[in-house]
Amino acid sequence: MINTVRNAVLTILSKDNRGYVTPEEFNLMAKQAQVDLFEQMFYSYSSAIVKRNARIYNTGHANIPETMEIDIDGFIVNDTLQYNAPTETFFLPGTNPANPTQPTLYKITDMLYNNNIEVEKVNYTKLNSLLNSNFMAPNVTRPIYSLNNDGIKVYPDIIVSGMTINYIRNPKDPKWTYSVLSNGEPLFNQSASDYQDFELPESDFPKIVAKILQYAGLSIRENDVVQLVNQEEMQNNQQKQ
Amino acid sequence: MEYISNYQYYTNNGNIPEDTNWGSYQYLSLKDVVNNFMLFDVGADKLVDNVPRYEVIYHAKRAIQELNYDALKNIKVVDMEVGDNLKFILPADYVNYVRMSILTDGCLTVINENRQANSSNAYLQDNNNDFLFDLDGQIITGQSALDIKRLEQSQYFGPGDYCGSYGWLYDDSWYFRYQLIGFRDDDKDGPTFRINNGVIDFTSGARNRTIVLEYISDGMENGDESLMTVNKMAEEFIYAYISYSILSRKVGIPEYQVKRLRDKKTAMWRNAKIRMSNLHPARIAMRMNNRFQNR
Repeated sequence: MINTVRNAVLTILSKDNRGYVTPEEFNLMAKQAQVDLFEQMFYSYSSAIVKRNARIYNTGHANIPETMEIDIDGFIVNDTLQYNAPTETFFLPGTNPANPTQPTLYKITDMLYNNNIEVEKVNYTKLNSLLNSNFMAPNVTRPIYSLNNDGIKVYPDIIVSGMTINYIRNPKDPKWTYSVLSNGEPLFNQSASDYQDFELPESDFPKIVAKILQYAGLSIRENDVVQLVNQEEMQNNQQKQ
Repeated sequence: MEYISNYQYYTNNGNIPEDTNWGSYQYLSLKDVVNNFMLFDVGADKLVDNVPRYEVIYHAKRAIQELNYDALKNIKVVDMEVGDNLKFILPADYVNYVRMSILTDGCLTVINENRQANSSNAYLQDNNNDFLFDLDGQIITGQSALDIKRLEQSQYFGPGDYCGSYGWLYDDSWYFRYQLIGFRDDDKDGPTFRINNGVIDFTSGARNRTIVLEYISDGMENGDESLMTVNKMAEEFIYAYISYSILSRKVGIPEYQVKRLRDKKTAMWRNAKIRMSNLHPARIAMRMNNRFQNR
């Protein structure tokens, strides 16, 4: 999809000779656009749930939240947590130096101990009360965790292994890779080792183009482009409401 | 919990102890209760939303306690021989007693609680009757005169069957086995007891006798949540109790919703009590038939 997006962006921009976006600039803007839209996906999902509960959405193909769920589920990763003995915590996904390829964490979905015992997150405001409660103190049949600067702290602290996590990872940075022709023109090269396509669904194509155009318009100081994109975005949002 | 095969039920798959699953079908584990509630009663389109699991577990455990106090028939029984100190330490999971009996020649005889004091704390005093304190400023305690007297008996050498027996001489009268100090009004019906400070203090008639205590616990299984269960007859009450307890504590919940859940909880409570009381028409009919036949 990334090549199509780039072509669309360049076509729109150069139609009126508004300027040229280099591959490096495009990659930066593509990354920013993907992060923005990825973040927006969760807010859209939340408001879609509210609408579904208000019976605005229908069932079957008109069940919009379900479609959004499928998009989000594509980012869920299941992995084992590694214990970091000096800090007595588990590494947050993507922060363990020994595992640099592990995807970074966006949001924790759930955590399991020994594959079948749910480990529940507890906020710091409640943590001490819970730990000191005779009635509700965590134990190996009902462990809890909290997040801190060092990572994931699991209680009771005799748990130092057997932890698995399901989490939503951050999308990988898109990268339009190319080889340079003799005339200096970049030619799209999909087989490059660092090639990375957008990870957002195909249906987000217009939004990605619009976002990149927005950034490009700011970059080349073309107020018309920014205004046009903003107008389109508003129209899109109104249609969805 | 998954359903288990008959082989697993009767023999625990050949493992020891083989009675692990006997009768287990009557019960639902705490884990199942909480999982079911989180699955079917919590969600964006449900009355209860955004509630942490530990909060549900807390209310589920409280509901199990309430059931154990009033509705369930899970009475635990323990027997123990009363020694010379006339004390019986309460079981670790004791909440309240149902009945106390004394075992005599294979027969159980119910004994009564006497609310008059038969044991007490004692504060040590000096010659001026002033209290004595330790270095931390705490008052020093010792064995009370009442306890000493309760345990000390003298030998009777007078006429009658009790000659040579140990007892107490009080107000020119001797009191022996089944006769006690401190409870003179009740001593005719055998030993009595009083529960105080984690122990049961018996009167002298219980010395070296076997006492059977029937009591209720709170179902908390010494804190082991994997062993906590609830009878299926009360399952719906548990869910109603949790829903009501959560929503009644939340802000912004319309009062009519809280009331609706309170009514449901109360109705489920009554249902559970009736179900657990085993009032089946067939059993009532059987009892009535027996009654008429015996006339």
